[in-house]
Amino acid sequence: MIIPIRCASCGKPIAQLWGDYQRRTAQGESAKTVMDELGLVRYCCRAQFMGHVDLIDEIAKFKKG
Amino acid sequence: MEIKLLSQDKTQVRVVVKGTTPAEMNTYRRTVLTTLPAMAIDTVEFVENSSALYDEMLAHRLGLVVLKTDTESYFEKAKCKCKGAGCARCTLELTLEVEGPGIVYAEQLKSKDPAVIPVHGKTPLVKLLDNQKVKLIAHAILSTGQEHIKFSPGLLYYQGYPQIKVGAVKNPEAIAEMCPTNVFEADSKKLTVKNKEACILCMACVDASKGDVEVSGSATDFILTIEPWGQLTPGQMVDGCVDALHEQIDALSEEIKKLK
Repeated sequence: MIIPIRCASCGKPIAQLWGDYQRRTAQGESAKTVMDELGLVRYCCRAQFMGHVDLIDEIAKFKKG
Repeated sequence: MEIKLLSQDKTQVRVVVKGTTPAEMNTYRRTVLTTLPAMAIDTVEFVENSSALYDEMLAHRLGLVVLKTDTESYFEKAKCKCKGAGCARCTLELTLEVEGPGIVYAEQLKSKDPAVIPVHGKTPLVKLLDNQKVKLIAHAILSTGQEHIKFSPGLLYYQGYPQIKVGAVKNPEAIAEMCPTNVFEADSKKLTVKNKEACILCMACVDASKGDVEVSGSATDFILTIEPWGQLTPGQMVDGCVDALHEQIDALSEEIKKLK
């Protein structure tokens, strides 16, 4: 829904890097180089980014039950 | 014990520690993880929350936000003079009041103490649409990783110092290329170790050379990595770890003295 504040596995704070990652990958840079440069070394943190889909824009349109 | 600095950058410090045991290294790792105090948001009072996230989800996200910690002027609740009631020496109030549209960042949290603020200001907390509003009061406390992992100041981990033996290798270039951390250098028919400390003991070269390259991790020498999340500096982490261990050992010897 929204990028987790920290990596679920190792606990590294990652949410502050998401904006950069999203912008740079949208411009056509490969996810690998962006993640390397952002300092996401372990595959647990990288998986958080690669598997994430921002759905909050969609969900925010509907009222909470 | 012999210590040598290997590398140091913004995110981590690596040192070589020689002449010790895995048990000792593991003691440091566990102490940093569980007994070093750091600050984090513990309770959140919501005044208004019309965002897409439920109160509980937003409170959980706030709890995980990394706060710069001042261990000098704050005390753990149990050790505070107020005996856990909550006073300015053990709890800190942060407030957040924002209206949409836009992303709400951690830097918009207003802290009563300018020394304790979010380390990563650009951490997105929630995204608001037009007419959506969040208003809350959060209380941060000082506690340890034993209570909740969000209070942990970072990671300290170790691996055995790599010992690499290169025998008569048939395909040096292929092995040098397949190493994920570029430990080897291959010139025509010879494989040489170029960057031993980068080895992560993945054993890919051992498998590919069918045993011609031998890799093992030392049981007495270690590469120790200190990776702070931002609450404390690497130096503060090591100092705090040593102090916490001293405290525990003193408490143990006190108890043993009583037995006599």
